[in-house]
Amino acid sequence: MYGRRASQLLRELAACEAGQLTAFNSDTFEQVIRECNEHNLQLQSLIRKIEDANLDIQTTRNEDHFGAVIHHLSLLRNKRCLMAYMYNRAELIQSLRWKIGPVLPQEIQEKLNYSEEEYFKNHSAAIESYMSELDLDLTVDMVPPKDPYIRVKVLDDIGELCLGDHAISLTQHSLHFIKRTDAEPFISQGLMEEFLE
Amino acid sequence: MDSQLGGRSEEEEAAAAMEAQTDVDLLKRAWRNEKAAPEILQFEAGLVQRAREQIQLLEETVEEFTENRSDDLVVPLYQMDLDRALFLLRSYLRIRLQKIEKYMVHISKTNLWNRLSEQEQRFAKRCIDIMEKHLDQSVLSRLPYGYQSMLKQSISSEEDDMVPEPQLNTYVFCKSKSDVGAFQLDDMGEEIVDLVADDLYVLRYNSIKGLVDGGRIDLV
Repeated sequence: MYGRRASQLLRELAACEAGQLTAFNSDTFEQVIRECNEHNLQLQSLIRKIEDANLDIQTTRNEDHFGAVIHHLSLLRNKRCLMAYMYNRAELIQSLRWKIGPVLPQEIQEKLNYSEEEYFKNHSAAIESYMSELDLDLTVDMVPPKDPYIRVKVLDDIGELCLGDHAISLTQHSLHFIKRTDAEPFISQGLMEEFLE
Repeated sequence: MDSQLGGRSEEEEAAAAMEAQTDVDLLKRAWRNEKAAPEILQFEAGLVQRAREQIQLLEETVEEFTENRSDDLVVPLYQMDLDRALFLLRSYLRIRLQKIEKYMVHISKTNLWNRLSEQEQRFAKRCIDIMEKHLDQSVLSRLPYGYQSMLKQSISSEEDDMVPEPQLNTYVFCKSKSDVGAFQLDDMGEEIVDLVADDLYVLRYNSIKGLVDGGRIDLV
């Protein structure tokens, strides 16, 4: 059935847990692109057929006309599905900049296609240039502050961290009581977690 | 009901400022409205400017206190105040950027564009370029001629029919500080609500849009 393959792409998106990215399905994607071009060939040949029969393309309502309409509509449907697939993924990729930061971990990187990787980089750069114009980092402070200091547990060796007038050494499994704003970048990278008793 | 749709007059603004008093309160209100509204609202340029100045002042105060090693109890209090103000400001700007990310094309094609700050406009332009390039190289350029537009489904569409738009029909919670009086919710004049001060209402955003823009009602 026409358009079925394209709808599979969207079903994949819908089946995925909210906020999660699936690997880019290039097989199906390429097949749908091919389908589009086939539809177009059929469409063009039907139009030619009508023209060859010296019929007015605007008013003719024979079987060739309706065949052409079906190919046209299938093409539109495929296009909408492809665009929706790409666009929804792009929206998710945008949100990663806010949630994770300018560098994506390997396992997410692998799920993107080439254009998406480039998109993420360009989009990050746009956010960064906005922030530098304002001279304000918007990627910290994602949750309303309760206490300026929080207790954190270090999950991975980070090394020395300079905090104003003194430095602390962030070794794995150590606990620290530091400013929330200092801790947030590490938390979002998964190197620390808030320690709750 | 004459000023229902118009911008906020000076009088109203002064009155609003009197009620809310501090800039932090005003910022909180702008932030709440922005957070609850489905579409992007007017950028509060003056307010953001003032808030930033005050934040800087606070930062200096905190620094001064820390340097002088004065009262150890006062510093965290100032710090907390500072953190809260900073959060409000950051979150306000962030929500706006995220709305721009979501509806960039729609914003750029309507008069919503004038609601953005200069920097936001630059950001939006860049976003559109980036998105266009991405969609073009991965999908559009590989489709047959006539189907390559980002905005139109095909060459035979008369209008731009592929632009995501915010859903203005959605319900929002709102509250008014002063009596608005009988307010007409639809064009037909069939649904009329008497908006009383400090009562909470759940209404369609579409119908109270004018009141929100005019600052006569707050979203919560």
